[in-house]
Amino acid sequence: MGWANWLISTVSRALAFGVPLLWGTLGEIYAERSGVVNLGVEGMMILGAFMAFAITQQTGHPGLGLVCAALIGGLAALLHAFVTITLRANQYVSGLALSMFGLGLAGLLGRGWEGKPLGKPLPTLAIPGLSQIPVLGPMLFQDQTILTYLGIVFAVILWALLFHTRWGIAIRSVGENPATADSLGINVTRVRYLCVVFGGLLAGVGGGYLSVAYRPSWTEGMSAGMGWIVIALTIFASWDPVQAIWGAFFFGVLYHLSYRLQAFLAPELLKLMPYLFAIVVLAVSGFGRARWRQRAPGALGLPYVRGER
Amino acid sequence: MKRILAVVVTVVALGALAFSAEKIKAGFIYVGPIGDYGWTHAHDLARRIVDEKYDWLETVYVESVPEGEVETYIDQLVRQGCNVIFTTSFGFMDGTLAAAQRYPNVIFAHASGFKRNPNMATYMADFYQVYYLNGLMAGALTKTGKIGYVGAFPIPEVKRHLNAFTIGVREVNPNAEVHVRWIYEWFNPAAAKEATEALIAEGCDVFAFTEDSPTVVQVAAEKGLPSFGHYSPMYDFAPDYVVSGQIVHWEKIYEDFLLKVHNGVYTTKNLAHVDYWWLLSQGAVEVGAKPGMVINPKYEAALKNFVLNHPVFGRISVYDLVFTRLNQMADPGITFDPFQGPIYDRKGRLVVPEGMWMSYDSLITLEWAVVGVVGPWPGEP
Amino acid sequence: MRRVGPFLLEPRLAAPRYVVFGVSIFAVVIALLAAVPVFVGYGLNPWQAYAAIGRGVFGSWPSFSEVIRRAIPLILCGVGLTLAFRAQFWNIGAEGQILAGAVAASGVALFLPVPDGLRLPLMFLTGFGAGAIWGLIPVLLRVKFGVNDVISTLMLNYVMSYIVEWLVHGPWKGPTMRGFAYTDAFPLSARLSYLPNTRVHWLTLALGVALAVFVAFLLARTRTGYEIRVVGQNPDAARYAGINFAAVLSLVMLISGGLAGLAGVGEVAGIHWRLRSPSHISMNYGYTAIIVAWLARGSPIAAIFTALLFGLIFAAGDYMKTTLSLPFQITGVFNGLVLFFLISFDILMLWRVRLARKEKIWAGQTGS
Repeated sequence: MGWANWLISTVSRALAFGVPLLWGTLGEIYAERSGVVNLGVEGMMILGAFMAFAITQQTGHPGLGLVCAALIGGLAALLHAFVTITLRANQYVSGLALSMFGLGLAGLLGRGWEGKPLGKPLPTLAIPGLSQIPVLGPMLFQDQTILTYLGIVFAVILWALLFHTRWGIAIRSVGENPATADSLGINVTRVRYLCVVFGGLLAGVGGGYLSVAYRPSWTEGMSAGMGWIVIALTIFASWDPVQAIWGAFFFGVLYHLSYRLQAFLAPELLKLMPYLFAIVVLAVSGFGRARWRQRAPGALGLPYVRGER
Repeated sequence: MKRILAVVVTVVALGALAFSAEKIKAGFIYVGPIGDYGWTHAHDLARRIVDEKYDWLETVYVESVPEGEVETYIDQLVRQGCNVIFTTSFGFMDGTLAAAQRYPNVIFAHASGFKRNPNMATYMADFYQVYYLNGLMAGALTKTGKIGYVGAFPIPEVKRHLNAFTIGVREVNPNAEVHVRWIYEWFNPAAAKEATEALIAEGCDVFAFTEDSPTVVQVAAEKGLPSFGHYSPMYDFAPDYVVSGQIVHWEKIYEDFLLKVHNGVYTTKNLAHVDYWWLLSQGAVEVGAKPGMVINPKYEAALKNFVLNHPVFGRISVYDLVFTRLNQMADPGITFDPFQGPIYDRKGRLVVPEGMWMSYDSLITLEWAVVGVVGPWPGEP
Repeated sequence: MRRVGPFLLEPRLAAPRYVVFGVSIFAVVIALLAAVPVFVGYGLNPWQAYAAIGRGVFGSWPSFSEVIRRAIPLILCGVGLTLAFRAQFWNIGAEGQILAGAVAASGVALFLPVPDGLRLPLMFLTGFGAGAIWGLIPVLLRVKFGVNDVISTLMLNYVMSYIVEWLVHGPWKGPTMRGFAYTDAFPLSARLSYLPNTRVHWLTLALGVALAVFVAFLLARTRTGYEIRVVGQNPDAARYAGINFAAVLSLVMLISGGLAGLAGVGEVAGIHWRLRSPSHISMNYGYTAIIVAWLARGSPIAAIFTALLFGLIFAAGDYMKTTLSLPFQITGVFNGLVLFFLISFDILMLWRVRLARKEKIWAGQTGS
């Protein structure tokens, strides 16, 4: 049963670790599909993490905590949206500013909250029936919170929405060529606002997962760089919500294995594997296939000014 | 009663002194954020305790100071009028020494280092005895014979603790193994979580660790597995699963040091040989799930029922063994040390000869892994 | 043209320098005002706080020198990044390139048997080389394999950071460090000297300023500079014009990565005198330099001044932490605010504001 143990723990850990990455990436995909890069994911996630923890601690309802996490993520994203869409400021710099601001603010607000246990974290579910299946049960249907399944379902819905509905066409055309979209009567500003704020909501949930489910407690800087991995995963997934599932899962596998394999390989070098692998996979998949440039939204990173070009 | 009396006497004595002596302004320089719930958190807790205790003392602190920047911050603290400065990271050593030479009228104390100056002392509260005691309990509680240890960095301090822990484990359970995973960070909850999960997947069922958050305790508790808290009291994070743990009391050192500065015992001329290496007997560290609770009552029965044939004490329960050993080490005339020869490292070399104890120098430069440790060991001689 | 109250707003393509400068100052002032509630929240009088910070930072030469010292790595990285951004190559990897330079310099300092006089020059040379190599990998990945530069440079930061971790825990761990994860201290011949009463390693500073001038000259006055600008502004046109895309990007990242590598040399040879845990060496300078370069609007000379601005913000943050006992996160909040305001006021630069005279308003041209 050696292999089964390996398979079970790797898959189940990868799913759990991938949740915040998946939520964050889904949100960032929508923002970027509409043409707005938001490098503030790290800031939105940490704000979400703090909010979810504080609210859950006070009320005892992790669900409410997650909703508030989403709201604060959305609010932070709104700031980014205003600065980049209305004021047409540089998206990269605004995102960096948001990350700094979010990390700082969450740290300030969170002073005094560290070291407090959470009475009622988000429970893990053992799905009746399914969790009893040998191998598959413990692999997929135990030890996961609702957010794992919700994230995957959400990814599929968001994929369908993006590629098979009029809304999706509107979003993609705004990101591809805002001038054309505008001439077709799509409100570019509104679509971008909605997508960016939506991205913030999801990033907030991803952060909230960290503090009420993944390890229920609050500590300064607990997002520990996940927001930056999200930025990479967005490109990794070619701006496709379903591929984001694989991306988050893949990163989760590598992360887990970097601890699992320590018994056999030098730990320092294993720790850099996920990052090295991300590059290698991109290089291999990009080689001979469509280049990422062609897959990226055409107007990514550019503010839209009516009447230009 | 005696203790209360002692406190009263001290307080009265201090009250008298406060009128006569000058005020002390002490600056504390931390490497991490005070919200880490580990190393820096503990130092800051101690700072607040001494600040409260001595009315002739004023304290200031700076957190999250990068190692290369320590001199800049010392400059600022000195300019602000600090006359005693504590720097609390090994990486601050050379910067603190340079500053001590630059400011001969300021008293410095550096935690965990080995360089001193007439106006610069060193201090450390070390856990190795406590880890050993935790190891005794862990050895009795494991069913799979595999105990997990999440280590921050493979440096002598952590290696020493891991070895002491393993020695404790094997004293009770000679065939048990301690499996180790390194996360290469003092503070990284996500890494600690995945490392713990990896150990669980390998069959470990009891956990100890060195990381500045309660993550390992929480993850183990989720799976219903016992663990030992580290650095701060972690009982509250999993009341059913925290068996015991290591708790630090830096305030004991700070109280003693500052009082001696205040009384004129320590001056800027005589610190070149002042090195605090405080352990159980000085009260700088404590074994327990939370202060005053050496063993979580939930595990008392299990430990009392685990009876072994001990080479020294004969038939004894692990519960009694823990307290016997604790008393031997907490007694000022320490009669036992975990690193008591003969000790062989896992490559079969005799590292501590029969009947010998390890010297302070060899303890703080320890690099080998004792028999029973399983897993990567960077820098193994 | 657009009317707002009594003012007429007229779009313009490029703002004159004094406008850029004025707007930037204005933004910083507004950000200072926006931070007032934070001070009040901590029970401080904001004006006294600002005055204290001002006195603390500008009060004496040693304290002001900290601004310059903190700016040194930012100047080097920032200048390199202005070049990369001109070519539209998103080099997020200065952090890793700094470390690459630090590693090479440490190797030379500790292990290479060279005459004392040659040691420092060799450290700078190898540091430049290592940073350049680490910067060229993403170019190769992008040109040959179509890998996005944002990802590859970002990921390579993590990779280099763990390589440093591996070095200091493994092969390079110093025998005199009693098992702690540091290399031994550099020999005296590998340490940079300071300006009197400061920790300003002037050689690195001088290098930074000189290279800023060189890069400015390269961009503005040479055929290569022209090609870089074309590649950045219009890649298609560049292709038609027969510009070798890969060669231009390689040159750009050779310089950009190399400069970051030099910054790494300056940090280990000037401040640390050893290799240690990566985050304590690179200190987010590589990420901050992105902002430095961006605020300089692609001008290497301006990057010197924006680097100094951030040196000032860092030094002020240090001061707030110690003297005003403010939590360290306040620097992050403050930096974030400054940035938000700086970029938000950009829009002002794109409009010329004039008082409206009634007869000049054309209803037809008031579209948004």
